[in-house]
Amino acid sequence: MRPVQSYAIAVVASVALHVVVVGALLANWQPDTARIMVQPQFIEAKLVELAPKAKPKPPAPQKPKVDVAKKQNDEKKRLEKLAADKKAQEKKRLQQEQLKKAEQAKKEKQRLEDQRKAEEKKRQEKAAAERERIEAEFAKALEKERSEVTAKNDERVANSYRQLIQQRLSENWSRPPSARLGMETLIRIRLVPTGRIVGVTVLKSSGDIAFDRSVEQAALKVEQFVEIQGMDPGLFERKFRQVDVAFSPEDLRL
Amino acid sequence: MIEENLSIWSLIVNASLLVKLVMAILFIASMMSWVMIIQRGLVLSAAQRNFREFEDTFWSGVDLNSLYNELTQKAKQEGGGDGIENVFRAGFREFNRLAQVNGSDPDAVMQGTDRAMRVALSREDEKLNTSLPFLASVASVSPYIGLFGTVWGIMNSFRGLAMVQQATLATVAPGISEALIATAMGLFAAIPAVIAYNRYAAVTESLNSNYETFSEEFSSILHRQVHTN
Repeated sequence: MRPVQSYAIAVVASVALHVVVVGALLANWQPDTARIMVQPQFIEAKLVELAPKAKPKPPAPQKPKVDVAKKQNDEKKRLEKLAADKKAQEKKRLQQEQLKKAEQAKKEKQRLEDQRKAEEKKRQEKAAAERERIEAEFAKALEKERSEVTAKNDERVANSYRQLIQQRLSENWSRPPSARLGMETLIRIRLVPTGRIVGVTVLKSSGDIAFDRSVEQAALKVEQFVEIQGMDPGLFERKFRQVDVAFSPEDLRL
Repeated sequence: MIEENLSIWSLIVNASLLVKLVMAILFIASMMSWVMIIQRGLVLSAAQRNFREFEDTFWSGVDLNSLYNELTQKAKQEGGGDGIENVFRAGFREFNRLAQVNGSDPDAVMQGTDRAMRVALSREDEKLNTSLPFLASVASVSPYIGLFGTVWGIMNSFRGLAMVQQATLATVAPGISEALIATAMGLFAAIPAVIAYNRYAAVTESLNSNYETFSEEFSSILHRQVHTN
C-alpha cells in the first residue's frame, strides 16, 4: 500500500465520517420542547364572505317551428295558422321580454349587493387597522409612562435609603476635637446585598487626618445596614453597590 | 413572540468566542485523529498481511538468491519496499557482500549481517510507530481542552446569572448546555483515539517481535551456511 494512496483514503473516510456525524446531530437533535411560543391573547376576527352562487341560466326558449311547407295546400289554413302563429309569437316575445327584464333587475340587484359587501369589507379592514394602530400607540405610551413611574419610584426609595445611611453614620460618629466647621470628607462605602459594609475608602480628604479617621470609624462602626436587606436587588445593583457619602460637621458651631 | 431555539447548531453558534475556538480545535483534532486512525489501520493490516505472505514464501524452501532478486525488483517498482522484506534484503545483501570477500572471517560476516538487519529493523520499527504519538496526545489532551471550554462557558453563564434578579433553571440551563457541548466534543475526539492507540500499539508490538524472531531465524540459517562452507 503506497503511503499517498492510504492517506487519501483515510482523509476521505474521515471527512465523510464527520459529515455524517454532524449531519445526524443537526438533523435529529431538535428537541420537541425547544420552542417556547407565547401566543398573543386575542382572538383573530375574520370576515366570512357568503358569496351567492350564480344561478343557472334559464334554458333558452325554443323557437316555435313555422311550418311553411304546406303553404300551397291550404291558403286559409295557412292564414289561420299564420295568425295563430303570429299571436303565439307575440305572446312568446312578450313573455321573453318579461323574463329578460326580471333577470336584468335581478342582476342589477346582485351587483349592488356585491358592491355594498365589498365596501363593507373594506371599511371593516380599515377600521381594524386603525384600531390596531391606536392600540399599539396606547401600549407604547403606557410602557413609557410605566418606566417613568418606576424610575421616579426608584429615586424616591433610593433617597429614603440614603437618608437612612446618613442617619446611621451620624449616630455612630464621635466628634474629634480637631473637627471644624466647613470640613468635608468624601468617603466611598462598598456594600453587599445583606447591607454589610465590606469596604470604606476616603475619596477626598478634609485635610485633617483625625477627622477623616473619625468618619471612617463611624462607617466601620455601623457594620451593617440591616434595612438594605429588604431592598429590591435591581435597585441595589444600580445604586447601592457603592455609596459615596460627603461628611461635614454642619451642626458644629466652631 | 419569545422563541428559544435549543438545537445543537444554535447552541454552537451562540457560544462565546473562546468556546467556539475550543470547539474548532477539537473538531480539527477529531478530523486528524480519524485520518491517522484509518491510515494507520490500512498500513498495519497491510504490514501484517505482508508478513504472513513473506513467511509463507520464505519457509516454502525457495532459493534465497532468487527471492532476494525478486524482492529487490518489487521494491524498485514500488519505491521503498515493505517491512519484513527490507529486513531480509538488508541482511542478505550484507551477507553476500561480506562472504564474497576472500578469506573473510565467518564471525565477522555474521556480525556485519546482524548489524545490517538490526538497522533495518529499527527503521521498520520507526515506520510502524509513525503518528502513534499524535493519537496518544489527542487521546490524552482533548478531554482537557473540552473541559476547559466547558468551565469557561459555565463561568460566563454564572457571571451572567449574578446580574439577574430571579434566577430560574431556565436562565442557567442554556449556558450550561452550550458549555457542555465542548466536553462532549472532547470526549468524541478522545475515545476513538484512545482505542486506536491501544490497539495499534499492540499490533505494532507484535509485528516488531515477529520481525525480530524472523531476523534471528534468518541469522541462524546464514550462520549455518557460513560455517559449513
